[in-house]
Amino acid sequence: MKKYIKSVVALTAICAVVAILLAAANSITKPIIDKNEAAAANEALLVVMPNGGDFTTVDLSAYELPASVNEVYAASNGGHVMKLTVNGFNPGMVIMCGVGADGTVTGATCLSSGETLGHEKVYGDKTVGATVDTVDSIDTVAGATKTTAAYKSAVKDALNAAIILGGGSVELRTEAEILADNLAAALPAADGFTSVFMIDTIEGVDSVYSANNGTGYVVCVGDSFVATDANGKVISEGASTEEKAAATSAVATLLSWELTAIDLSTYADMPSAITAAYSTSSGNYVFDVKASGYGISGDKYTASGEYIYIKVSVTADGKIITCETVSQKESDGFGSACADASFYTQFNGKTAETYKDIDAIAGATITTNGYTTAISRVFEAVNILKGEA
Amino acid sequence: MKKQSNWSILFKGILLENPVFVLILGTCPTLATSTSVIGALGMGLAAAAVLICSNVIISLLRKVIPDEVRIPCYIVVIAGFVTLVEMFMHAFLPDMYDMLGVYLALITVNCIILGRAEMFAGKNTVGKSALDGIGMGIGFTLALLAMATIREVLGSGTFAGIPVPFLYDNPISVMKEAPGGMMVYGILIAVVNKLTNGKLIKKKSFGCEGCPSAGICSKGTCENTAKEEG
Repeated sequence: MKKYIKSVVALTAICAVVAILLAAANSITKPIIDKNEAAAANEALLVVMPNGGDFTTVDLSAYELPASVNEVYAASNGGHVMKLTVNGFNPGMVIMCGVGADGTVTGATCLSSGETLGHEKVYGDKTVGATVDTVDSIDTVAGATKTTAAYKSAVKDALNAAIILGGGSVELRTEAEILADNLAAALPAADGFTSVFMIDTIEGVDSVYSANNGTGYVVCVGDSFVATDANGKVISEGASTEEKAAATSAVATLLSWELTAIDLSTYADMPSAITAAYSTSSGNYVFDVKASGYGISGDKYTASGEYIYIKVSVTADGKIITCETVSQKESDGFGSACADASFYTQFNGKTAETYKDIDAIAGATITTNGYTTAISRVFEAVNILKGEA
Repeated sequence: MKKQSNWSILFKGILLENPVFVLILGTCPTLATSTSVIGALGMGLAAAAVLICSNVIISLLRKVIPDEVRIPCYIVVIAGFVTLVEMFMHAFLPDMYDMLGVYLALITVNCIILGRAEMFAGKNTVGKSALDGIGMGIGFTLALLAMATIREVLGSGTFAGIPVPFLYDNPISVMKEAPGGMMVYGILIAVVNKLTNGKLIKKKSFGCEGCPSAGICSKGTCENTAKEEG
C-alpha cells in the first residue's frame, strides 16, 4: 500500500511542479507570441495599405458584397482591405486588395494561386491608384489574359465592396449580363447573340457568338470582343492587328466547317445515349447525347423523367473541344443548373481520364452523375467509330 | 557497470555511441527535419537542450522516483521541458518554430531522450548525466547537420539557404523526399561503421539494462546475448 501511495505522490508532485513552471513560462511568452502574431497579420495587410495603421475584422453578414469577397478588414485610416478568391487560368487565385477611404486602390497582392506564368505576382502594382471608374481601362497582359483579367475583376470587386461598406450601392451584375453588354457594345446592329458551337479549336480564340439577325459575329480573343460582319470582315476599330487577324481567320474557319452525318445503325455497340454523330472535315467528331438526370415526368421529377440533351465535340484522340447543354427539364433551381455555362464548360478539354474531375451541381447528385455518365459514352463512341472498341 | 571517465562519457555520444548513426535512435525527426541545414540545427539544438535538462532533472530525482512509475515521471519531465522550449521558441524564434512545426512537440517522444533517461540518467550522478546529455545532444545535432548538408546541397542546391553553383539549377529533388533521406541515412551509417572499423558498441555492452524489455524481464541474463557469446 505504502508503495502505491509513494508512486502516486511522486507522480502528482512532479506533474504539479511542471505545471507551475509551464504556467510561469506561459505568462512570459504569451504576450510576446500574441504581439508577434498580430504584427504578422497586420504586416500582410500593410503590404496593400501602407498607411493603414491597425486593422479590425469586419463582420460581413450585414452586407451584400460581391461573391468573391471572403474577408474584409477595416483600417484605422478609414480604408478597407479585402481578401478575395477568383478563378484565373486555374481556380483559387487568392488576392488581397486595399481600397483607401477615397475609393482608390492602395495596393494589391496575390497570396496564392495555381497560375503558370507568375504575372499574378506583379500585376497588382498596375492597379494601384485605380478607382471604380478607371479599373476597366487597366491593360491585361498579353499571353496571360485569363490570369490578369481575373485579377482585374477581383480588384473591381474590391472597389465595389468598399463602396457598399461605405454605405453606397453598386449594381452587381452577373457574368451573363456583363457578357451580354460586352457583345452588344461590340456589335450594336445585332439583336441578341447565340454562342457558336465550336467543333474544332481555333488558335487564340476562346469563343464566338453569332448575331441572331445575321448581321455578323463577335469573336472573343483573350478578353477583347472583336466584331465582324457575316463574311468575317472586322468591324471593330479598336482591335489590334493580331486580334483582327485572329477574328478574321476564326470566322473563315467556322464558315468552312462541314459536318458529315454518321449512320449509327452500322455500329452495333454504339451506346444508346448517343442519338446522332457527325464527323468534321478536320477529323473530329460531334455527338448529340442524351443523359438521364432527374427530369420531369408528368408533374413530378424522377430519375426516369425527361432526358438532358447535350452536344459535344471531341477530337479523334478523345479530348472534348466543346460541351454544351442543348435542353433540359431538370428540377428547377437544382438540376437545372446543368444548363449553366459554368457547369457544362467544365468538360471542355477533358479526356476519358479526367472527365470526372469537375465540380458537381450542389443538391443535384443524380443530375451530375447522369450527365457525367453521358459524357463517358462520348469517349466510348469515339473508340467505336475509330474501330478500337 | 564499467567505470567511465568524464571525457569518454562526453565524447562517446559524438561518434562511438552516436545516437543517430550507431544507436539508431530518433530516426523519425532525423529524416523529417534534415531537409534544410537551418532546420536541422534548430532541431538538434532544441533536442539537445531538452536532453541536457531532462538528464539533469531525472538524475537528481532518480532516488525519489519509484521504479514502477519511472517512465510516466520521465515523460512528464521531458514533456515539460519540450513545452518550455516550444513556448520560448514560438515567442523569440517564430520562423524556426514554424519551420520545425509538429516535430518540435514530438521531441517529447524522441527515443534518444527517453532512451538516455532510462539507460543513463536514471542510474548515474547529476554531473555524469549532464555530460551524457551534452555529448548525445552534440552527437544528434552533428548527425542531423551531416544529413541536412548532403540533402540540402544535393536536393535544393543550397547550403543554409545560400545557392550552390550548378546544383542550384540542377537539384536532385529525390534527396528532399523520404527515399533520399533513407539513402543518405543508410550511407552515413555505413561510413560511420567504416570509420570506426566496426568497433562500435556491441550488443553485450548495452547489457540487460540497455534492453527495452529490461523492466519486465525476469531472467537474470539475456538469452540472445548468451547465445551469441556461446
